[in-house]
Amino acid sequence: MGSEEERIAIEKEKVLMVGAGGIGCELLKTLALTGFKHIHLIDMDTIEVSNLNRQFLFRKSHVGQSKAKVAREAVLKFRPGVDIVAHHGNVKNAEFDIDFFKQFSVVLNGLDNLEARRHVNRLCLAAGVPLVESGTTGYLGQVTVHIKGKTECYECQPKPAPKSYPVCTITSTPSKLIHCIVWAKELALAKLFGDKSQVNELDVRPSVLADAKADTNEVGNDADFFELRRGESTWQFAGRVFDRIFGYNIETALQNEDTWKARRRPDPLYLDKILPPEEFTAEENGNGEIENPTVSAMVTLGLKNPQKIWDVQENARVFLETIQLFFKRRSKDIGKLVFDKDDQLAVEFVTAAANLRAHSFGIPMQSLFEAKGMAGNIIHAIATTNACIAGLIVLEALKLLTKRTEQCRMTYCVEHPTRKMLLVPVEPAEPNPHCYVCSETPLVLEVNTVTATMRDVIEKVLKRKLGVDSPVIMQGSSLLYETGDDLEEDMAAHYASLLNKSLASYPTPITTGVVLTVEDYHQDFRCSLHVKHRETFDEEKEPDGMLITGDIASVVNTDDTLQPKIVADEDLSNKVENGHGEDDDDDDDMVMFTPETLAGAKRKLEEEESLPVEKRLKIQQLPAMS
Amino acid sequence: MSGGIARGRLAEERKAWRKNHPHGFVARPESGADGALNLMVWQCTLPGKAGTDWEGGYYPITIHFSEDYPSKPPKCKFPASFFHPNVYPSGTVCLSILNEDSGWRPAITVKQILVGIQELLDAPNPADPAQTEAYQLFIQDPDEYKRRVRQQAKLYPPPV
Repeated sequence: MGSEEERIAIEKEKVLMVGAGGIGCELLKTLALTGFKHIHLIDMDTIEVSNLNRQFLFRKSHVGQSKAKVAREAVLKFRPGVDIVAHHGNVKNAEFDIDFFKQFSVVLNGLDNLEARRHVNRLCLAAGVPLVESGTTGYLGQVTVHIKGKTECYECQPKPAPKSYPVCTITSTPSKLIHCIVWAKELALAKLFGDKSQVNELDVRPSVLADAKADTNEVGNDADFFELRRGESTWQFAGRVFDRIFGYNIETALQNEDTWKARRRPDPLYLDKILPPEEFTAEENGNGEIENPTVSAMVTLGLKNPQKIWDVQENARVFLETIQLFFKRRSKDIGKLVFDKDDQLAVEFVTAAANLRAHSFGIPMQSLFEAKGMAGNIIHAIATTNACIAGLIVLEALKLLTKRTEQCRMTYCVEHPTRKMLLVPVEPAEPNPHCYVCSETPLVLEVNTVTATMRDVIEKVLKRKLGVDSPVIMQGSSLLYETGDDLEEDMAAHYASLLNKSLASYPTPITTGVVLTVEDYHQDFRCSLHVKHRETFDEEKEPDGMLITGDIASVVNTDDTLQPKIVADEDLSNKVENGHGEDDDDDDDMVMFTPETLAGAKRKLEEEESLPVEKRLKIQQLPAMS
Repeated sequence: MSGGIARGRLAEERKAWRKNHPHGFVARPESGADGALNLMVWQCTLPGKAGTDWEGGYYPITIHFSEDYPSKPPKCKFPASFFHPNVYPSGTVCLSILNEDSGWRPAITVKQILVGIQELLDAPNPADPAQTEAYQLFIQDPDEYKRRVRQQAKLYPPPV
């Protein structure tokens, strides 16, 4: 450890850290103690109480302040000589552009969400800066190294997507507590307190069944069943809802014999079988109509231990009490409530409703603490894992800075020893030649977007300069242009009508900053065009009124990397034939989506069944071990 | 920036469909008000199979792809209240190959999805009913069920 070359690199090179959270705190400390002198740090978050157990640079008094800034100050206290620049902002902000990234020798990620990781990956590729990427999930973690052209980029392999559950399992046939929790959160909670205009299948099937025998059953098919009726007490309402969703609906579902042929039949639950009548017919207690966002049924019911599993009676009481409290003390939220794991009353409701449903289906119940973790997709972070990962990041960074890239390893931190190791090194994989992110060299198109039309771009640049024959042009997931004999006639006419529009007059204006994806299916060609508006062009030198720059040769020949590169702006029409590879009539070119790859990824997900869907991922990165 | 994998795959799907697709089927990205086509939502038509009660109908179906496609299956929707035992009242199709937990595999193509749904039309799965009306008629009153299916087919005449 510590060659002269290494010491010089450590003191001289400038590094960028993205993220100052669990891994970030450890990493900033380790970088500073290793002797790094020039560190930029980006984080958009502010410090929360729940960070303090592991993000050790922060103290209680810092809650609410910028993570990046506080982390900087904390490290400067024990390493005053380090030049740390803290940016309190989103790494996706325009200020952190390709030029910003180019000033660094290496980028170190300690992020907590996929979107930001993808973004940083692309900026690193575009700027040609190596990336050390990391993540942890409880005891698991990994550090990976991404060097443009040498190793796979962060997006070369598809990432496992958050798990979702089929509607049928949730609405009718739960077999695990998580199914009941999803039901409680997405259907029951949403139906009672959420946006009424949203489609909700909580009650669909039974209410339609009720139609068929409406005469014989007094529980009708009223659309407003889940509304508080005039003159009805919240107790009566809560009791009515209870019997409907845990009793009547289950009983109705039982009528469908086919469903239960191979499954355990659920038991309907009715309130009068669970609680003594005086409890649930109790008179309203009249006081306390004041809105209070922090009310808790556990408090009013005297249930103290969130780790204790409530019995059926207790769950029923919590269920009734939460409904009552929502109507009396949280009425402002009714009609717009969305589940939040930090909303105590919502967590109590979800726990009770999920447990009651679980009981009915013979699934073991769980404590509020466990249910909250499942409902909020919480995987408890472990400080030691973060510290190990931060150390590994620095080791990889040192290899990169001293140009020992052949020694770089991806390292997986595992929970149980594998080949007697808890830190498993793996050689980085080669870039995926079909990766749409890193297999293309981005090109820059300078053009006057106000005067130039799409036709101009196609004729002068795509066809003449890039040798594209029948281009398909996309912007994100929007198709802007297609050609080809196999195109539907009306589509062809539609596209033709758009050709003479100027770029800037497109509904989503094509101007500076827009990235167009150009593909030619026949040539198996694809590239990205970064558009840059320019007012004037030299008529003599740039008669086309547009200029394309970039590593064009490697774009035309995606399959032939040995081909000598040709300087930009050279006429490439004579190279076009190289683009004609074997035609891909079948799905071979979709190899990155084969079930094997995905199945492999899925298997690793067994413990983390339900991952965050919309909110920022609280867990860090899914370990993708091989 | 996200959804690149979905976008790339959908471009491939579009390409594959343009090259070759089953007769009578239509599938294309939805065209927005701005004239651009949105690859994430496809408007499709599938013909009822010849020789079944569904014959003559050209059923509209919308396929919604998420950013997580193809890891996750797309959501396929007929018009709301479409008459079929395995179609939810909202129009969502309940089919094993569209279920992440059972039949979905990322390699399944748009073509296979549409052909699978066409198969489902005349071969409903009574073990997983999604609406009561069609399910009960299918079980209890096959003649009325057939009549309703043929009636529905007339609602969706061939495209001009």
